[in-house]
Amino acid sequence: MSRYQQADSAAASELIDRLSPQLYRFFAAELGNADDASDMLQEAWLRIHRVRHTYRPGEPLLPWLYAIARCVRVDSFRKRRRIASREIGVESLPERAAILGGAPAVPGFDELIATLPQSQREVLTLLKVNGLSLEEVARATSSSVGSVKQKAHRAYERLRELLQGAEAKKGAVP
Amino acid sequence: MNPRDLDELLSARDLPPLPPGRVGQIERAVLADLKPVRPLAPAGAYLAGLAGIFIAVCAAGAYIAGQYGWLVLSDLQRIAVFVPLAAVAAVLVFSLVRQMSPGAKHTRSSALLAAVLFSLLLVGMIAVFQPAHEHAFVAMGLGCFRMGMIVAMPAAFLFVLLLHRGAAVSPALTGAAAGGLAGLAGLAVLEVRCPNLNLYHIIVWHISVVVVCMIAGLVFSSVTFRRWRSNQ
Repeated sequence: MSRYQQADSAAASELIDRLSPQLYRFFAAELGNADDASDMLQEAWLRIHRVRHTYRPGEPLLPWLYAIARCVRVDSFRKRRRIASREIGVESLPERAAILGGAPAVPGFDELIATLPQSQREVLTLLKVNGLSLEEVARATSSSVGSVKQKAHRAYERLRELLQGAEAKKGAVP
Repeated sequence: MNPRDLDELLSARDLPPLPPGRVGQIERAVLADLKPVRPLAPAGAYLAGLAGIFIAVCAAGAYIAGQYGWLVLSDLQRIAVFVPLAAVAAVLVFSLVRQMSPGAKHTRSSALLAAVLFSLLLVGMIAVFQPAHEHAFVAMGLGCFRMGMIVAMPAAFLFVLLLHRGAAVSPALTGAAAGGLAGLAGLAVLEVRCPNLNLYHIIVWHISVVVVCMIAGLVFSSVTFRRWRSNQ
């Protein structure tokens, strides 16, 4: 990162090559859409490039990186919501209902995680999909380790309830 | 279902693959604009800078405006006003230092702590000052408000100069915190200068300096950041 700050093109390329898959997973885990995640990845790198001077050599890199990626994602969601609020959303509703109607009895990751509040979803994605530590997640989300632990615990409890409910339903079907 | 099963379910998720060529495209965009940059100064430098500006502005303001208020305050009133005021300012300084670099520890919790301490300052003021009726409530109050803003504005300007390179992820919070700190400098000078111990006067015309500066900082930083993003 320090070499990237000194305009070393090889270091910049290496950083982008190494970290893009991780960042892409972060966006894709939330969106489930390859095109949107890919656009967001590009936006994130442009933002990272723009604020690369805010990284202090010696500090942990991943929380710095994910804090910016998170900011890009929030901005992008706000933008999408603004656009969506101007469009007529009638067409998308039956489509979603049809998908849910045809879903298997035990829900998949997307259905499960969609039921969680945004903050719990984010913590779970960073911990389980991106493999960050509790300390790194706390730094990336501007919160404390205790708060991250609490959110993860609540998310797990909720997921366990949902899965147990789904399994019970599956068992009841003749 | 135990935690390990949940872990497996969460880790085994199939995510769409990264489209081929996308990373190359990003690399080309980044490399086309690759120039050396100077990293942010160490946190200690920002801490010293922010604290120095705050103390210097308060000292200069109190020297120029006079210390009539300080002379009429009792010891209890001095403690109830200046101890929490200094605590809020210190916590805001720490919070601003942490907000400079994304991914720093406890950025939000320290801003929240500052809000709690500011509430304590208000409670302390309500406890040690008595309400009274005033004939020229607005005329006298406007003079104080103006003085508070005159002190806060140079402080805010210097804070912007110091902070403008950082605060990349939560500009609204940074703006509000910097505005609040500038407003606190104004409040400190007013408490030293103003001999009016009427609770209503203090709450409406002194405290409002902090609130107005905080809102102004929030709006200023949000607008500036939006422009910055639209220029990206």
